[in-house]
Amino acid sequence: MKKTFAVLVASIGILVGAAPMWAHHAFASEFDEKHPIKLRGVVTQWELVNPHSWIHIDVKNADGSVTPWMIEGGSPNALFRLGFTKNSLPAGTELIIEGYQAKDGANRGVGAKLTYMDGKSLFLKPAGEDK
Amino acid sequence: MSHRVLASTLASAALLTASAFGQAQGQAQTKAAAVKTTPAAAAIPRTADGHPDLSGVFSNVTTVPMARPANCGTKEFYTPEDIAAGMGGARGCATPGAAPAGRGGGGRGGAAGGRGAAANIDPETGQPALQVHYDTSQFGLSGNTIVRSSSMRTSIITGPDGKIPPLTPEAQKRQQDRAAYNRVHQWDGPESRPLGERCIMWPAEGPPMLSEGYNSDIQLVQSAGYVGVVQEMIHDSRLIPTNGGPTLLPASVHQWFGSPRGHWEGDKLVVETTNFTDKTTLQQAPTTDKLKVIEKFSRIDANNVLYEFTVDDPNTWTKPWSGEVTWTKIDSPIYEYACHEGNYGMANNLSGQRATEKKAAEQK
Repeated sequence: MKKTFAVLVASIGILVGAAPMWAHHAFASEFDEKHPIKLRGVVTQWELVNPHSWIHIDVKNADGSVTPWMIEGGSPNALFRLGFTKNSLPAGTELIIEGYQAKDGANRGVGAKLTYMDGKSLFLKPAGEDK
Repeated sequence: MSHRVLASTLASAALLTASAFGQAQGQAQTKAAAVKTTPAAAAIPRTADGHPDLSGVFSNVTTVPMARPANCGTKEFYTPEDIAAGMGGARGCATPGAAPAGRGGGGRGGAAGGRGAAANIDPETGQPALQVHYDTSQFGLSGNTIVRSSSMRTSIITGPDGKIPPLTPEAQKRQQDRAAYNRVHQWDGPESRPLGERCIMWPAEGPPMLSEGYNSDIQLVQSAGYVGVVQEMIHDSRLIPTNGGPTLLPASVHQWFGSPRGHWEGDKLVVETTNFTDKTTLQQAPTTDKLKVIEKFSRIDANNVLYEFTVDDPNTWTKPWSGEVTWTKIDSPIYEYACHEGNYGMANNLSGQRATEKKAAEQK
C-alpha cells in the first residue's frame, strides 16, 4: 500500500446517499469496509464480463514503479441499457477511484466513486454535447 | 383487478428504491399512461391461432412493495384521493408528516427475491451486509432507464393479509437447521456458497418470477403449443407446453425450476409447475418438493402483461398465497448474462474468508 498512490480514507461518508446496487455475491466477505482506498491511475482494460465488470488501472508509485489494480463495477447488462459501450472507458483514461480493498490484501477492490481528473464524474456528458 | 392498474412506463431515479410509488408520482419524468383493461380485446395482439400473443421483452420491476405496509391494514388498493393526499411509497397509508409505514411482514418491492435487508444482515451468510457499494452514480449517472410498472395496489401480494403467511413449524425448523449448518460450513468451498453466487439460479427467478433487483428482464417467445420464457437473470429458460395435461415427469424427478404445463383459459395462459427440488428457497423460505406454483399470463394490452401467481407448499407455509405484477414491455433485447464467464467473485470471496480466518488464528 505505501508504495502505491493509495490513500487510506478516514471516512466512508463520501458514499452517504449513494443508492447501493444489489450484487451478485456477498460483499462483506470479499471487501473490507475498514480499508477504504483512494487510487489515482490510468485505465489499461475494462472487462465487460458478468456478473460484474472490472476496471483495470495502473497506479504510479512514488518511486516511479507501477502497481496494477482491479476494481469491480456494475453488471455490463445494466450498463449497456444505460448507453454504455465497450468504448466508453478507453485505455489511457486517468481516473481517481475511491472504494474498498479486498480482504485478502490483494490489489483489488470495489469501486464506489470514480472521478475524472478534471473533477467530473465518469461518463458525465462533456459540455456542448447533446448526448 | 387489472382495471386498477394505473401506470405503465416510467424512468425512475433510484435503481432499487423499493416502494417508490409516491416518489414516482412526483417525478417529472414519470410517464404515467392509463392501461387499457376494458374488454377492448382489439388492443391485444394475437397469434394466428387466436390466442393472445404474449411475445415480447418485458421488465417485471414494479414500484409496488412485496408486502403491504403495516399501516394499510387490509386496504388492498389506494384510491386517487389517497394518492393526492400523499399516501403511497414508503409512507404506505399514512399521509405526509405521520408516522412511518412500518414493515408489513418483509419483502421489498419487486426485488424481494430472497434477499431481505432486515437488520442489514445478509440472510444467506448471516454476516452484516456491506451497505456501502458501487452504484450507477459511480458512472456519473443520476438516474437510470429501468422501466417499471406501478399500480394502485398496496402490495404485490393480494388478499386481505397482503403478506406471505407464516411458516409451518416444520419449515421453521428446516430454516433453523439450514442456518445452523451454514454458520459452520458456508465458507467450506464453492459448493457451499449460495446458488446465486454459484451462477446456478437467482433467488427471485421462481416461479413465481419476480424482480431480481437488477437486469429484471424477461423475454416471452410463443409458438403453437409452447411458450418459452427467458430470464436475463441468471440466464435460464423455461419451455412451457400449452396443450394442457399434467407434467410428464415422474414424481421422483426434481428440477431447479420445476416442470411446467400450461393451458389456455380464454385469453389467459394458466401454467402449473410442480417437481421442484427441495434445495432452493422462495422468499427466503426453504421450500420442499411439494411446492406447486400456478401462474397466469394475460396480455392486457399492447405493452403490458399481467402476471398473477399462487404459491402452495403445505410443508412450508400455513396456507397458499397469491400475488400479481404488471410486466411492461421494454425496447431492448435480452442480453447474455454469462454468469460463469467473469465470476471472479467466487474465488475472491473464498480468498477473503481464508484471509479473515488466518488473521483470526494469528490473533489467538
